[in-house]
Amino acid sequence: MAEILVVAEHRKQSLADVSLEMLTKGRHLADQVSAELLAVVIGKDVNRYGPRLAQWADKVLAVKNDQLEDSQAEPYQKTLAPIIKERKPKLVLIGHSSFGMDLAPALAVDVGAPLATDCTNIAIDNGTITVTRAIYNGKVNALYSFAPSETLIVTGRPGEFLVEEGQKGGSIEEIEYLLDEEFDYKRFEGYIEPEVSEVDITKAEVLIAVGRGIKDKGNIELAEELASALGGVLACSRPVVDYGWLPSGHQVGLSGKTVKPKLYLALGISGAFQHMVGLRGSNMIVAINKDAKAPIFADADYGIVDDILKVIPILTQRINDLKS
Amino acid sequence: MVLADYKYKDVIHRCCRCGYCKFPTDWMDVNSCPAYARFRLESYSCGGRLWLIRAWLDGEIDWTEHLAQIVYSCAACKNCAEKCPLSFSDDIVDMIVAAKSEMVERGSIPSVIKEFLENIQRQGNPYGNARTKRGEWTEGTGIKQYEGQEFLYYVGCVGSYDTRAKETAKTLGEVLLKAGVSFGVLGNDENCDGNEVSKLGEESLFQLLAEENIQKFKDLGVKKIVALSPHSYNAIKNDYPKFDGSFEVFHYTQLLRDLIKGGRLDISGGLDAKVTYHDPCFLGRWNKEYDTPRQVLYAIPRIELVEMERNREGALCCGGGGGNFYTDFLGGSENSPARIRIREACATGSTVVATACPNCLTMLEDAVKAESLEERLKVRDISEIVAEACLAKKG
Amino acid sequence: MHTVVAIKQVPDTSEAVDVVEIDTSGKDIKKEALVPKINDWDEYALEEAVQWKQKLGGTVTAVTVGPSEWDDILRRALAMGADMAIRIDEDAAAMDCYTVAKILTALISRLPYNLIMFGAQSEDFGSGQLGCMVAEMLGIPHATLVVSLHVGEGEVRVSRELEGGGLELYTLRLPALLTIQTGINRPRYVSFASIKKAREKELKVTSLSELGLSNEALTPMVRLEKLELTPTGKKAELISGSAEESATKLAMILKDSGVI
Repeated sequence: MAEILVVAEHRKQSLADVSLEMLTKGRHLADQVSAELLAVVIGKDVNRYGPRLAQWADKVLAVKNDQLEDSQAEPYQKTLAPIIKERKPKLVLIGHSSFGMDLAPALAVDVGAPLATDCTNIAIDNGTITVTRAIYNGKVNALYSFAPSETLIVTGRPGEFLVEEGQKGGSIEEIEYLLDEEFDYKRFEGYIEPEVSEVDITKAEVLIAVGRGIKDKGNIELAEELASALGGVLACSRPVVDYGWLPSGHQVGLSGKTVKPKLYLALGISGAFQHMVGLRGSNMIVAINKDAKAPIFADADYGIVDDILKVIPILTQRINDLKS
Repeated sequence: MVLADYKYKDVIHRCCRCGYCKFPTDWMDVNSCPAYARFRLESYSCGGRLWLIRAWLDGEIDWTEHLAQIVYSCAACKNCAEKCPLSFSDDIVDMIVAAKSEMVERGSIPSVIKEFLENIQRQGNPYGNARTKRGEWTEGTGIKQYEGQEFLYYVGCVGSYDTRAKETAKTLGEVLLKAGVSFGVLGNDENCDGNEVSKLGEESLFQLLAEENIQKFKDLGVKKIVALSPHSYNAIKNDYPKFDGSFEVFHYTQLLRDLIKGGRLDISGGLDAKVTYHDPCFLGRWNKEYDTPRQVLYAIPRIELVEMERNREGALCCGGGGGNFYTDFLGGSENSPARIRIREACATGSTVVATACPNCLTMLEDAVKAESLEERLKVRDISEIVAEACLAKKG
Repeated sequence: MHTVVAIKQVPDTSEAVDVVEIDTSGKDIKKEALVPKINDWDEYALEEAVQWKQKLGGTVTAVTVGPSEWDDILRRALAMGADMAIRIDEDAAAMDCYTVAKILTALISRLPYNLIMFGAQSEDFGSGQLGCMVAEMLGIPHATLVVSLHVGEGEVRVSRELEGGGLELYTLRLPALLTIQTGINRPRYVSFASIKKAREKELKVTSLSELGLSNEALTPMVRLEKLELTPTGKKAELISGSAEESATKLAMILKDSGVI
């Protein structure tokens, strides 16, 4: 029977959300084409993940490898390549995470499989697999097909496939897999934990988030005044950290924090998915942006199309008026 | 680079920081350098800046983003040049521009200036908006593409893209149509005039823009140019001749004055308003054109024209020059020059502050909002006041 | 130390540019209205390579696969401080990442290198595959999404970005390939004068046949079938009026919602 293989990613004793998203999608596709869903997890302590993965998978391959604490590209590649070559799954699903980006392209070259990364949809029609990707800064959706091949590898965009709890209860096979290779050409040296800032944006009820539209470090003051009027905390999108205008502890999004405030006020943020994925849990999103076509307006509850540098001082004043 | 390579190495050390560069005409305060008025720190005055530049070129201090911001907070308004008592007073703004040039060549400039210049390299405007949208403001007007008419109406980046300034660009075009002036615009083929590029120290990019524009004007047979923005007017009039581009250049107020004088514009409808006029630096101090805009306003029946305390050579800059309308290094405070200027305008008891520059217009209008003075004071471009006087007649 | 940096040209489709349209083939966007630029990520990679060259000496070579119009970005790279630029004269627009990786591998394997840098992804297609594929084809270690690096004796220490703001630290044996994330440095401004001056530096053009590659060896594994403009969502209730009016209305909305 045909197989769909999901690569499960884990770090610090927990499975990555994107892996659960891939399992959910993989389950749907497997049901659609009557294939078996196979989940592969590799590491020192894999049996802890087996039952969770078996909720979706028909079969979990828990590969025990004492050298590997968390998911890392090279040991995964060396373990997965022979499994893929032997089992020839129709489709391999990997999350388009930091780990997935480090693994998938090398794995694809290794096994000679076509690869599509950062996909927002995966479809099987008459046995033919197509994927959709968002390109040109999210302005265009592109549909891709693949050259005939025994196996395809697809990585899925985090947050794009919603997790539905699975009821499969598949089998778990634990296998011992001792890599004969020492990864001395790429030694893992540890983690640096996210910067702890004085304020924890993940706990704040009101977030005033600034993006590239703030233009200059000096203008952060304007947003600070608004934040203090609203009793909120400053957050930001990636460019603001890249430019050194705010420390990284303030960053919301894929490479930053995930937040769920009552109010998320986005100032001059365009709304790239890497940012939006971090604020899905917000109660109310208000966006102010000069560009009427900024994607953030698709997700916001309220929007103002104007220059934030004009609107912020007035808004601060009005809020202070209303409070007094 | 060391000081020895600096163009003004023989004079920069002669600034003794007498502080005159900060003074207004009446010498009663030290409030007329826009950056100094905003920050009240010596380093933001022209003299302070020159000392910092010298220390940097001498290797006494390192380049930092902060140093660059201080240098780039100069709005190139030339108040300092008016007041400096020393023999090199004509060069002091260029001494700062030359330091900016040095930063540009090293590639070390504030990120927002980098963005400004890269946007112009790519899209021909500081906003990074598409070149193919430059002429969009003409839609629905009767304004035609230039094809050998008497005047080329050169609009500039702010008038082409800024929402508020686009209205002005349109209004002026409609006034010119009404007066029967033969003119056309370049629309999407217009490119940045480069005035700010030059004042930001990107001389080679300025040269490229100037040469390309001159070639385009020549190919189209342009002889006379009327500019909406004093910034464009300044570059085309004073700098383009250096690149073999000599055209008859007018600021639009000069053309309006002639049209009114010649009876081609009926402004007898007049306007009931007390109006004060804000001198744009690139019309005033840079080009000594103080009278013409005032003559246009004076000609409009029932306008009561009053002067602000600081006017003409002594006018306080709105803080928008030298790219600051975009970079906003002087914004975000009640001491932002535009807000000081608006309070000064308000003190005259005027209901309208008139100006003749799209940069000043947007800066001052934002300041009126920040000061919550919308009920008392309107900001109008002279072209808009003239248009209103024409309309009033009709009704 | 010899560093090779692979770069590409992309159309400027950034926020402010609002002119992205699909052409009649349905497989490409209308490029005429769009202005070309160097891929954002690649600029960070170049800056990083040049800064390390300034510290350690050696050379930086910028490489690309593209038509002659792409010489512009190579000149830019030379102006930033690269010593040499090589363009493989082939329109890569319709190629998949695997094919481009094969071509670049053929070129890079002929060059001296200790370190190879790619941008972590491109602004246009954003696949983030190329660097990692080339590393695998060359058989050298790689790290993607690198946000800081330190070159030591025979090795490079890197931190790579993880979700949630954490970092992963690795030491890679040289030669190695890194894909560079934005924010790792502050790319310098490239003045028009420095681009003109860079015309004196060497810009080589080579071809697939010179690299021993035939067109047949380059059949794509992934093919673009169809493009569609992303439907613009209309969820937000837009608050209209002047800045003054809209700010006032928003303040009231915030009050009514209990935030104030």
